[in-house]
Amino acid sequence: MCNVETLIPVGTEATVGFKINGKAVTAYPNETILAAARRHDFYIPTLCELADIDHTPGTCRVCLVEIQMPGQASTHMVTACNTPVKDGLAVETRTKKVRDMQKLQVELLMADHLQDCATCIRHGACELQDVAQFVGLKENRFFTPARVATREVDRSSPAMVRDMTKCIRCQRCVTVCRNYQEVDALVVTGTGLDTAIGLRHGKNQKDSTCVTCGQCVLVCPTGALAEKDETDRVLDYIYDPEITTVLQFAPAIRVGFGEEFGMAPGTNVEGQIIAASRKLGVDIVLDTNFGADVVIMEEGTELLHRLGERKRPTITSCCPAWINFAEVHYPELLPLLSSTRSPQAVVGAIAKSYLPVKMGLDPKKIRVISIMPCTAKKDEIVRPQLGEDDMPNVDVVLTTREFARLLKREGLDLRTIEPSTFDNPYMSEYSGAGVIFGTTGGVMEAALRTVYKVVNGKELDKIELTQLRGFEGVRSATVDLGGNIGEVKIAMAHGLGETRALMEAIKAGEADFDFIEIMACPGGCVDGGGTLRSKKQYLPYALKRRETMFGIDRAAKVRQSHNNEQVKALYRDFLGSPNSEKAHHLLHTFYTDRKAELELTVKEIWGEIKMSTMVY
Amino acid sequence: MAQVVYGVWDGVVHDYRQGKAAEGATPPDLKDFEVFDDNNPIRAFVADRGFFVFDEKVNLLDTFWQYLSKAADESCGKCTPCRMGTVLVRDALGAMRRGLDGDLDLDGIAAMSEQMRATSLCGLGQSCGTALVKAIEAFRDEFEAELARKQPARAQHAMSYMTAPCIEACPSKVNVPRYIDYIRDGKPEHSLGVILQKYPMAATCSRVCVRFCEAACRRKMVDEAVGIKILKRYVAEYQTGPHPLVFSKDMIAHVLPEDQRVAVIGAGPAGVSCAYHLLMRGYHVDIFEAQGEAGGMAAIGIPSYRLPKDVLLNEMNAITNLGGRFFFNQRLGTDFSVDDLMKRGYKSVFLALGCQEGTKMGCDNEDTSLVGYESGIGFLLKVHDHVAGIKPHPIDGEVVVVGGGNVAMDCVRSAVRMGAKKVHLVYRRTEADMPADREEVVAAHDEGIEFHVLTNPVSIVSEDGKVVGVKLTKMEQTEVDAKGRRNVRPIPGSEYVMPCSVVIAAIGQQVDTGSVKPEDGVEMSKWNWVVADKESLATSRPGVFAGGDCYLGPSTLIAAMANGLKAARNIDDYLRLGSTRFFPRSRIRQILEKNKLFSNDCIEVPVKNEYRVHHPELSPEVRKTMFGEVEQIISSEDAYKESMRCMRCYRIYSVITEHSIPEGAA
Repeated sequence: MCNVETLIPVGTEATVGFKINGKAVTAYPNETILAAARRHDFYIPTLCELADIDHTPGTCRVCLVEIQMPGQASTHMVTACNTPVKDGLAVETRTKKVRDMQKLQVELLMADHLQDCATCIRHGACELQDVAQFVGLKENRFFTPARVATREVDRSSPAMVRDMTKCIRCQRCVTVCRNYQEVDALVVTGTGLDTAIGLRHGKNQKDSTCVTCGQCVLVCPTGALAEKDETDRVLDYIYDPEITTVLQFAPAIRVGFGEEFGMAPGTNVEGQIIAASRKLGVDIVLDTNFGADVVIMEEGTELLHRLGERKRPTITSCCPAWINFAEVHYPELLPLLSSTRSPQAVVGAIAKSYLPVKMGLDPKKIRVISIMPCTAKKDEIVRPQLGEDDMPNVDVVLTTREFARLLKREGLDLRTIEPSTFDNPYMSEYSGAGVIFGTTGGVMEAALRTVYKVVNGKELDKIELTQLRGFEGVRSATVDLGGNIGEVKIAMAHGLGETRALMEAIKAGEADFDFIEIMACPGGCVDGGGTLRSKKQYLPYALKRRETMFGIDRAAKVRQSHNNEQVKALYRDFLGSPNSEKAHHLLHTFYTDRKAELELTVKEIWGEIKMSTMVY
Repeated sequence: MAQVVYGVWDGVVHDYRQGKAAEGATPPDLKDFEVFDDNNPIRAFVADRGFFVFDEKVNLLDTFWQYLSKAADESCGKCTPCRMGTVLVRDALGAMRRGLDGDLDLDGIAAMSEQMRATSLCGLGQSCGTALVKAIEAFRDEFEAELARKQPARAQHAMSYMTAPCIEACPSKVNVPRYIDYIRDGKPEHSLGVILQKYPMAATCSRVCVRFCEAACRRKMVDEAVGIKILKRYVAEYQTGPHPLVFSKDMIAHVLPEDQRVAVIGAGPAGVSCAYHLLMRGYHVDIFEAQGEAGGMAAIGIPSYRLPKDVLLNEMNAITNLGGRFFFNQRLGTDFSVDDLMKRGYKSVFLALGCQEGTKMGCDNEDTSLVGYESGIGFLLKVHDHVAGIKPHPIDGEVVVVGGGNVAMDCVRSAVRMGAKKVHLVYRRTEADMPADREEVVAAHDEGIEFHVLTNPVSIVSEDGKVVGVKLTKMEQTEVDAKGRRNVRPIPGSEYVMPCSVVIAAIGQQVDTGSVKPEDGVEMSKWNWVVADKESLATSRPGVFAGGDCYLGPSTLIAAMANGLKAARNIDDYLRLGSTRFFPRSRIRQILEKNKLFSNDCIEVPVKNEYRVHHPELSPEVRKTMFGEVEQIISSEDAYKESMRCMRCYRIYSVITEHSIPEGAA
């Protein structure tokens, strides 16, 4: 989102003169040694720091440098990440003292870090391993298994695992949750060796105010935070001869997956994913984009009804972290949410009702596997209201990362696979509108294309609503839908921090909108909490993935959901019309108030307070 | 005088053993270091700046193990070297003192201690390895001799104490870095819990405290002091709000028998704090209050634009929720006497009467019965009734307030809100000399108060029993006297009359005449304050204790609440044991204070400037017309930001003593 350069105040000049390893360099006033060193291409190892989220807690103490103040004979060790430069300062990054202390620091980090690297979900892509290599760590004198044995491993959530045996207390997760997503669900617990990251009010992940957006997973440098790995369950389904496996993958997967196999960020690998899925042994490969097109039919119809009834605003409901956020943090606004299920649930519901009719399958023997860029989708599928007759719409969700892991477990390399195409005649065609669901503003644009047609009986002249395609956190516009509807006021927010601000404005009666699109992750699904992790960066490929997505839309034969032939067939042969009773039964849902409140008493809090003289 | 045998302090090696006298070092002049408590010599002392050994037989391994054990217990765990280093060094020393091999040898311990000192994030980690590094460097022989014995060391008696400049400055010794840390951690309710360990009136304190802590804050050396009070205000919201932290009787671990009753006289900050702590200890507490409501000076002496009345009321609920009872409109000396209380079965009495009678200015024609003559406190009482809707008290004409303290500031700022045409503040010294909080003075200026400094009343001008003006004289500063102070004296012939309809004498207060009577058997001072023992707060009458303004003289909220806790501890001791006890933490503070051991070392490396956040305030034009609260609460975003500024200047001190240290009142 932001990098070192953008943190420098506009208009200031690099006027501070100092030395790094004997070389004269300049820095901006109040700039840190680390930022200046990076600009001048001096490498300093870091661990807790993450410039992209402006996070320099100074807790790991690895980025040590030796400094000498002008006019002083002695030197000091300081952390480069949060020590500002000064005129005449002499900085040394590679003296023996620096190297020895950095090495000891990493050894101390390892002293209470679970050493079972081979089984770790982050194996081979771990920032702690990288730093250990950099400092030349060759022994691990202080590790004692007992120190980590009692640490909490929270597996309560269907979406995420919080494994405190691997936490290095960098607090990046706290910062992204507190300052960027503004969910503020994470807190620091315990003191001394018991220090860990926990959920607010001492709850477990499942009962907490966490909305499982997974942005914390994207910034975690180790395997402490991760999705709940379900690759084994998928293999169980695939290799069960009784089971028909149906795989769907989300719009954003095809543009955010190639990097894992060495392709350029933003490469469209839709064909390779289809081929790889078949090689895995999946029986039927479908596209969540199809579900997105159906969602537009349902949600668009619902929106028109609500506009007719002067109910405003209507808020989109495809993002499961947003649904969690609304239920837990803004239950009073739940009546504003569209009742339409998310594209993944829609695909699941239709795959277990319509597909059996068409293909002669037993719905009880179908297992729907979703590949999603999202951790919250794992949360979504266990919602009891997303299923029929004890059959969940979707049986298992794999995040992008797990899908990569699954392919690697099966020896599949995306680069050597011949791309293929969809072959299911009922549920795999998609429109350009369905594709752009994966980026902020996409659902809005897709909906407007269809609603305009319904209102006016003709297609929009200019189909790409480029005025909606900005990247600001909250964007608003007025769109003339013509007919009996006329102008509607719309807004799009991405990132829960921006969402919170918008919801507060709605509560205060200060937001005047008819239709609002919310995506919980900054950028939308292309930067979802289930996407591939990057080291030392936060959301580096958002715009590349987005551009590819717009390109797919541009190249699509059909660009409006209502023109998708398979969608038309679905309504003609099975559902009747959008919002019909059958559609309502299968494709709509409801929400519940799950507001989590502080329930601790003074007595309980006193029981937890450490490092302060206990009076009672 | 305590004789140092050897040690290191501020990098200087001291060694006064036979034939080893270190060159250039002179034995430090340590005051009051002979014994820790009665007949219990101090054998060694370890601190952030070094250590001293007073008894050659002291075992260094055990001494530093005691010290590092405290460090490991108190490590907050955020940064790597302190979290892990304190534990590894403690465990290595722990093995060695038992005659075993540690995971680290002496060099390893020294390297680890140096790592902690040089690379830790905060004051605790940075300071807890210093003495040990120096000890191994200068007295390696001693360590090696102890190791060579391969035998467990004889157990040594020890006591360790962790504190910080802000904690020491606070009369209530609130663990300030800890509660700021809890904000950083994302747990404001735990932060409030830290404050509630000391007193129940967190919300009140967060609005009116004089902030000794901020004056002591070391962040000032970098940019500005941490906004400690602003942060307290932020967490105190958890005492009210939609889901407040509530007190209930199940918090009382051990309820004492019905006859264990204590009477508290005065429902001000001292009385309420004392009652709170006695209730927590299981006593049955009744509070007798002369006014019709609880809060004392906080209720009647602090105007509502600084402290809304519902905030205070809410805090008083803590007392009733814990089973305490309030009896209002019960005035000592009028409605009951100390004897009466004893006859009614109270085992002990705590006098927290306050200082509510205004002191006269001592000028001519100072007739308190004149219409328009008010004492500062008397006026604020009327303001209170006016705001509370009990009795309107409109003002027209001009008002002259005499004094320079916070009460004077409250008077001028209240008078302007009550419609005074013009408000004058008269003070005999300069504005810089005013004891009032600087913020209050600035706010008064903002609100259009006219300041007349180096000015003093000579007489009150009256007509038909009404004040019509004050005769004032200009003052001048005298030369600096031997004590370095400048006094003031009137300038002859500079008198002039300032017409006004109200004159308010806000220069000092005393205990209400007639409340404590000679037959109560409680000694009073010449200023008409209660006399009590500094350590125990016991008065001249057994079983009767005193605290707050009636003992301290007009003082601060935080000092009164500190007295309340101290009195509760001592009343508890007195009732259970028949006498009060030694309190080790107070004793170690005394040693630190007497010897000025608290380092105020400068900050040697650059620190990023992050200026403090401020309360959102209403504009002076709006606020001078209303009694609603002026300072608003900060956002959680600002609270997180401000909490990050705390440098956690913790330091640990340990003493090794000859005998075990009695465990004082907890």
